[in-house]
Amino acid sequence: MESKRTEKATLVDGSTIEYVVKDNPPKGGMKYTYFTPDKKYVVQFFNDPKNANDINIHKRLEAIVGKYNPTLSEEKGGSRGNTQLAADYFSSRFCWPKSLIKSPEFGIVCPAYPSNYFFSENSTDIEGYKDILKGKDKKSTYFTSPKLSKYLKSDELGDFRSMLSLSINLARSIRRMHQAGLAHSDLSCNNVLIDPQKGTCVVIDIDSLVVPGLYPPEVIGTSGYIAPEVLETMELPIDDPNRKLPSSYTDLHSMAVLIYEYLLKRHPLKGPKVYSTESAEKDDFLALGPKATFIENPVDKSNRPKDLTYTIKDLGPELEKLFIRAFVDGLHSPNERPTAMEWEKGLVKTWDMLSQCSNSKCTHKWFVLHDPQKPICPYCKTKIKAKEVVRLKLKSRVRGRNGQWIDAGEINCYDNMPIFKWHIYSNCFPDEKAERDLQASIHYYQGQWIFVNRGIAGMLSPSGNIVPIGQAVLLSDGSSFQASNDEKGYLIEASITRW
Amino acid sequence: MSDYMRRLPVYLLLDCSGSMSGEPIEAVRQGVKALLSELKGDPQALETAYLSVITFNSSARQVSPLTELMAFKEPELNAGGATALGGALNVLMDCVKNEVRQSTATQKGDWKPLVFILTDGAPTDIETFKNAISNLKNIKVANIIACAAGANADTTYLKQITESVLMMNTLSAGDMAQFFAWVSGSIKMSSKSIDAKPGEAIQLPPPPQGFVIVP
Repeated sequence: MESKRTEKATLVDGSTIEYVVKDNPPKGGMKYTYFTPDKKYVVQFFNDPKNANDINIHKRLEAIVGKYNPTLSEEKGGSRGNTQLAADYFSSRFCWPKSLIKSPEFGIVCPAYPSNYFFSENSTDIEGYKDILKGKDKKSTYFTSPKLSKYLKSDELGDFRSMLSLSINLARSIRRMHQAGLAHSDLSCNNVLIDPQKGTCVVIDIDSLVVPGLYPPEVIGTSGYIAPEVLETMELPIDDPNRKLPSSYTDLHSMAVLIYEYLLKRHPLKGPKVYSTESAEKDDFLALGPKATFIENPVDKSNRPKDLTYTIKDLGPELEKLFIRAFVDGLHSPNERPTAMEWEKGLVKTWDMLSQCSNSKCTHKWFVLHDPQKPICPYCKTKIKAKEVVRLKLKSRVRGRNGQWIDAGEINCYDNMPIFKWHIYSNCFPDEKAERDLQASIHYYQGQWIFVNRGIAGMLSPSGNIVPIGQAVLLSDGSSFQASNDEKGYLIEASITRW
Repeated sequence: MSDYMRRLPVYLLLDCSGSMSGEPIEAVRQGVKALLSELKGDPQALETAYLSVITFNSSARQVSPLTELMAFKEPELNAGGATALGGALNVLMDCVKNEVRQSTATQKGDWKPLVFILTDGAPTDIETFKNAISNLKNIKVANIIACAAGANADTTYLKQITESVLMMNTLSAGDMAQFFAWVSGSIKMSSKSIDAKPGEAIQLPPPPQGFVIVP
């Protein structure tokens, strides 16, 4: 019979926390886990007493809980420059350790992840699988593996737009970590939980972070997500100068693999190419390490599956470029990999190019409409019902050159589309600090497209007159207007493609 | 995509001889059930692990062909008869030959199979056993773990099959449950293949408390 009892742990600040001790607690690679009675927190201890007594691990965790903590404002002892707004934002995106335990032995307290990252009994229709799935963490393999996702109810799977949304989430969280000089070092399908329904993700297992100036953790990562250079040199002694250890560069590989899996439901390096017939281990080592080849490499097609129906080209030019940099230019050259910030920007730009599929049964529901001449969903091949594509080109002022503008982004319009500050001003970016109040909205009204001012000071009409709040400009092919007469305001050019 | 998804084949060789009747065979049934449920709860195992059951009493046969976990049907297990462990090894070799994909220049092969043998006695088909052993040694097809269950299990035979022999003292439901939990842990660990070191021996979790690794 399973026994349960409640124990008390003392934290480093002297306060205590209760936790429920169970037989066979859930065990990870490093630690085992108990819950507090209210299930709001988990209490974790190390499997190996050597780790629990390791001074380097103590120092690293102290830094993670304190001065590098993005889920705590600077005022409350968190990372430098962190506002309460940013801290609140990241609290739901990271499962960040909250405090350290000093007795009965060294351990950590983390928030439990929110309930939407656990499966419920309604997640599948398959009898016998319901009870198994219920309460399990939403690891991304459940959603990105066609073999597994077919057992889930279709509403669990989200759609292309929600997968893009959680990709933005991930890039933003990793960008925040890297900004602070931290590296996760073990990003994988197991350490980023996703909720495709809501379009959000949470990064967990924060305790193996690489912290500046402190000893790196001794993890190398999870198979399939380890950067090729780390796999290739893992046999070398830890202090060998040629040995590559997890770092922010290797995170950039792992993250690109995850984003590729979220958006394309396959692994970027696992194709048909046989690298060695000697053994499966050898073949895998070469395929993910020294000889790794992107399945969509535009030049070397040796690893390209025959049955690719949609590719990175269908994700639009921004993401196509990023994936080529991550998996062709940067696969074996870590400095060539796009940074998390570049991913965040590219993903956000791609968001503005989304178009809803006209086929209500389409599994993806949304797609990136990058070529207005070909308004066809790449997933179900349905042409959109609308008779036209209305696109807004955003242009920003070239500094010091009056009257010159450069391309800064594009928007595909749809009825009732909200327009935010980052669509109006070139110095605004939709990150954790962005204000998300409505600036304008786009409507299809009496057979015409209009751009309604909802809160912009200094919006101008095509002829240069002020458009007061509540008034609108007509979007016609070739028309252009200044979204704001502020120096940072974009010039918006409309184009309408009809067929 | 499925053409080049590497599979992890797992074979369970289960002793269903007369001495297993009653509580022990019931414990094995429960064990297989628990194993399946545990593995179905692990996304990596669901993706890569394929399971087969071979039983042996007076003769041996494959009662469940190599099947992906979600489609796996629990076999009917009944105890009675002798202990044709040699026959079981022959069946295993045939199955591996027929079911496990080998690497070729154009086809990705499967992972090396994981084989778990559970027996409470000693082989009664000694000649067959001896021949099977020499064949098995030559081909090195799999990572085999053998478990001797209860006081009457003879580990000297098992040691001829593999280096990895475990001993559990009783055939009780509790010990059996622990054994199957350990098997599922081993399969999960292998399907994650955390250390994808080429040519390295597979890593398994430490055996459950009370189990002894036979040196």
